[in-house]
Parts: sequence; structure tokens; C-alpha cells
Amino acid sequence: MERRSFLQALIASAAAAATPGTAALAAGRSSLRYLRPPGALPEEDFLKHCIHCGQCGEVCPNRCIKYFDLEIGWEAIDTPYIIPREQGCILCMKCGEVCPTDAITHIERDVDAILGTVNMGHARVDESLCLSFQGKTCGVCYRACPLPDIAIYVGRLEQPHVTDECVGCGLCERSCIQLPQAIRVFPERAA
Amino acid sequence: MISPTFTASPGARTRPFFLWRHLNKLRWLILTIVFAMLVLLPLLHIYQTYVAAHAYDLLSPGETRLYDVMEWIAAPFVSDPAADLDAVKGNTWSGSFWGYKISDPLAAVGQAAAGLSLYWPFLLTALVPVALTMVFGRFFCGWSCPATFLYELNSNFASWLRWAGIRVGNRRFDKRIKYGVLALGLILSAVSGSVLAGAIYPPAIIGREIYYTIAQGGFGVGTVFFLGTLLFDILVARRGFCRYLCPGGALYSALGRYRILRIRRVAESCNDCAKCNVVCEFDLDPMRDGFGQECNNCTACIAICPTDALTFTLRPSDYPEQGPGHLGQRYRAARQAREDTVRDVAP
Repeated sequence: MERRSFLQALIASAAAAATPGTAALAAGRSSLRYLRPPGALPEEDFLKHCIHCGQCGEVCPNRCIKYFDLEIGWEAIDTPYIIPREQGCILCMKCGEVCPTDAITHIERDVDAILGTVNMGHARVDESLCLSFQGKTCGVCYRACPLPDIAIYVGRLEQPHVTDECVGCGLCERSCIQLPQAIRVFPERAA
Repeated sequence: MISPTFTASPGARTRPFFLWRHLNKLRWLILTIVFAMLVLLPLLHIYQTYVAAHAYDLLSPGETRLYDVMEWIAAPFVSDPAADLDAVKGNTWSGSFWGYKISDPLAAVGQAAAGLSLYWPFLLTALVPVALTMVFGRFFCGWSCPATFLYELNSNFASWLRWAGIRVGNRRFDKRIKYGVLALGLILSAVSGSVLAGAIYPPAIIGREIYYTIAQGGFGVGTVFFLGTLLFDILVARRGFCRYLCPGGALYSALGRYRILRIRRVAESCNDCAKCNVVCEFDLDPMRDGFGQECNNCTACIAICPTDALTFTLRPSDYPEQGPGHLGQRYRAARQAREDTVRDVAP
């Protein structure tokens, strides 16, 4: 009897965890902080378009694109994601080129096109963790940024300041030498 | 007088083109190549990332071996592996070949259901498979599905088990169940707003899971599902998932209902041995002209026929049932009876 009730509780919690619904996903209510590949449609549209073929990951030269299993719900099974701390996006734009359904729209590999259309997320600096803000000149995030002086600029002691142009590729978070990282990319849907 | 329909002698019957009985070998070759490509493409992808990262000196011995082997394979075809190997990507669910994209019709239908709209740039990528299916029927299931490769090996494994005296499942269900599964998959896609039809479709699962296993560090829940279908095929019904449950098989069957190219029986050559019915993975009835929309033109029946009584024909529907084969017991007994009556009446 105890085992049965344990199993029932287990199944119920698994079912609850597995069914947040696309609306909840779109609202970013999952505790997992993940990015979609560059050029991805807004979350709800993205799920409607993505056919889970895996080509974006197979074409990614940086191997930053990974695939969900059932972590954030069965609606998002086999959809691509990027965890910037593990591997950032180098904005090569190959995933949008190969995507058959334009769930990831094709964007030219061109600064203006990327600035105008890519919106994976936005980097935020935690000044209480950032070495430069603690007086230890660092500047690693600025040097990792593919859009230096556009998306991020540095002030005194290489203190980073993120501008509105940041597209959220995550290379700064990947490179941050602090642990926990002082600069993190937050996906737009969670904003 | 002997009636004219009975005059064809066994020696005078027309034989089908000799190559048709070897098509089954060609089919196995194609299935093997498709499966091998699904394994090779993720390995090539890993090789590409090593090249792109200029990482050769950082690789472990195993990775170096992979690099060397992939370089050996790719070198004759590409000059810049990191860029040129992007030409072929994907799997049978959706793939790109030198910029030309081709997708499974189920992906197109499932995406239209999930989005509740028609996105033509994507739907058109399924145009060629749909056109081919309307000509060749459910050929994808027999000739290119990477799951078929494993399912047929699984069927062979089950027949070994049977030979060893272990009971394997051979239950029969209604083949129309899979149309219900297709409808259910599309409804679920529409309700959830996510293309879920691909989550229960073995070829899509195989393509993804091989890629996950090789390049993403481990397989996912799809592999568990697929292993479940293999067990179902052994324990419950031979080739049960394809016959009764596969949503893609349902879509292909429906599209191939009026296929132009189909197999037909030459009743004059048939001896009713029923080997074709036994070998048929989809539980069809070639011995009595019962092919129907489920036939995938796999040609296993042509290959096994001892009297060359099965061949191709170009017509949009099956021949109506032609009765017992002319070389078989039943037909000859009937002819003997007829001849006896004719002899009794004539003199």
C-alpha cells in the first residue's frame, strides 16, 4: 500500500512537472534559464513551427545548440536550446539557413542584420560579483563580445556596461571568469 | 472442347523482367545506406567542429582517430570541411542537400496542424515525397525508412526465436487503427501548439536519437519509445507498429491509395504456395491479389516467389481477385473436373 501511494505521488508529480503547457513556456515560467538559437521566433510561434528535426544543432560549428528531452515539458521535447554558461552562440547564422520551417528565421551574417533582428536575450551585469566593479580590472566579457562597443562598452577599470543593442549570444557569460558568473544572459521571454 | 481460358500451358507463360526479383537486394542496400548516412552525418558534424576550432592538437586519442577517419572519408569530396560539409545535413524527417530542403509529409501535415496555418515555404519541401508517394505508394516505408531497417532485422530476430521454440507474438489488429493514431497525433499537435506527430514517428525518432547519441552525449526518451515498439513487434504483433500504429505509415498509405506502380499477381504462373503471404511484412494477401493501399512495393514477395508469378504493373488500382493460381492444386482439380464434364457431354 505504501509503495502504491508512493508510486501514485511519483506519477502525479512527474505529470505535473511534464505538463507546464506552451503558454507557461512562452511566459518563461520554467526555472531553467535557456536561450533559443539566434533568429528564433517568439516562444509560442517557435513551438508551432519547430518540427524537431535537429538540423540546427547538426550545422552549429560551435556545438552550442543542445536539445531538450522532457526537462521543461513534452511540448518542448527535442527543441533546440542554448545554455550560455556551457557554450555561447558565435552568431554564425547557419542554423537559420538550414531550418526548414523558419522557426529559426534566416538572417544574413552581417552586423546590421544581426543587430536589427537577433533577439536571443539580454546580458545583465551583477556589480556585486563583477571583478571590475570590485576594483580588480578584468574586461574579459568585453573582449569576448562579438559586438564590442556596440552591445557592451567598458568604463573605468574595464567595468562593463551592456547597451540595448545586446543580442544575447551569451559569449560574455561563457567567458566570465567569476563563479557564479557576474554577467548573465536572460532570455527575452523571461523579461 | 476445352474452353479457351484453360489453354495456357505452364511452358508458355510470360516471365517478369528478371531484375524485379533482385530489387529486394537493392532495397536492403538502400536501407543500409540510409541508416549508415544517419550514423555518418553526426560523426562528420563532430569532425567539422574540430576543424572549425583548429583543435587537432587538443584532441584525445579516440577523437584523433575519429578526426583521421572522417578526414579520410571526406577529403575526396571537400576542400574546406568546416564549410563544405554543410551541404548535406539532417535526416529522413527533414534534410537539406546543397540548399535543397526535403521533408517528410508527416512533418508538413503536423506543422500545419500545430500552427493551424499553412506555411508554404515549408510545405513545399514535402512536395517531392508526396508526388513520389502518389506514384510509388508507401515506398518510403519499405525503401528508405531508417526504422524499417531495424524493424525488419527485428522481424528476422523474432523468426529465429520462433525457430528456437520461443513463442513470439503474432496477433492481428485492425490496420485502420493507424489512421486513428494519425488523427490523434494531428489533434494533439493542434491542441498543444507543438509538432508532436514527430515524437511518436519512428524514422524521425531514429534520426534524432542517433544524432543525440553520437554528437549530443546521450540518447533521449525517443530511444525508450523505439525500444518499446521493437518489443511490441516481438511480443505482440509481427511488424505491429508499422502495420497498425505508425502515423506516418497511415499518411503514406492514404497518399499511395491510387499509386500508379504496383505489384500484381500473374495468375497463370501462381501455384498457391503462399510464400508471398508469409513473407509479407504488412500482412497483405499477394496470393489472392490483395495488395491495397498498405503495400509499400518492397518486392519481398517478388523475390521469394518460386514461380515468378509476381511482377509490376502500371495501373491505379489492384487487379480484382483472380482466383486460385493456375499451377496450384485447386485450379488443376477444378480444370480436371471441368474437362471430365466436357468429355462426358461432348461425345
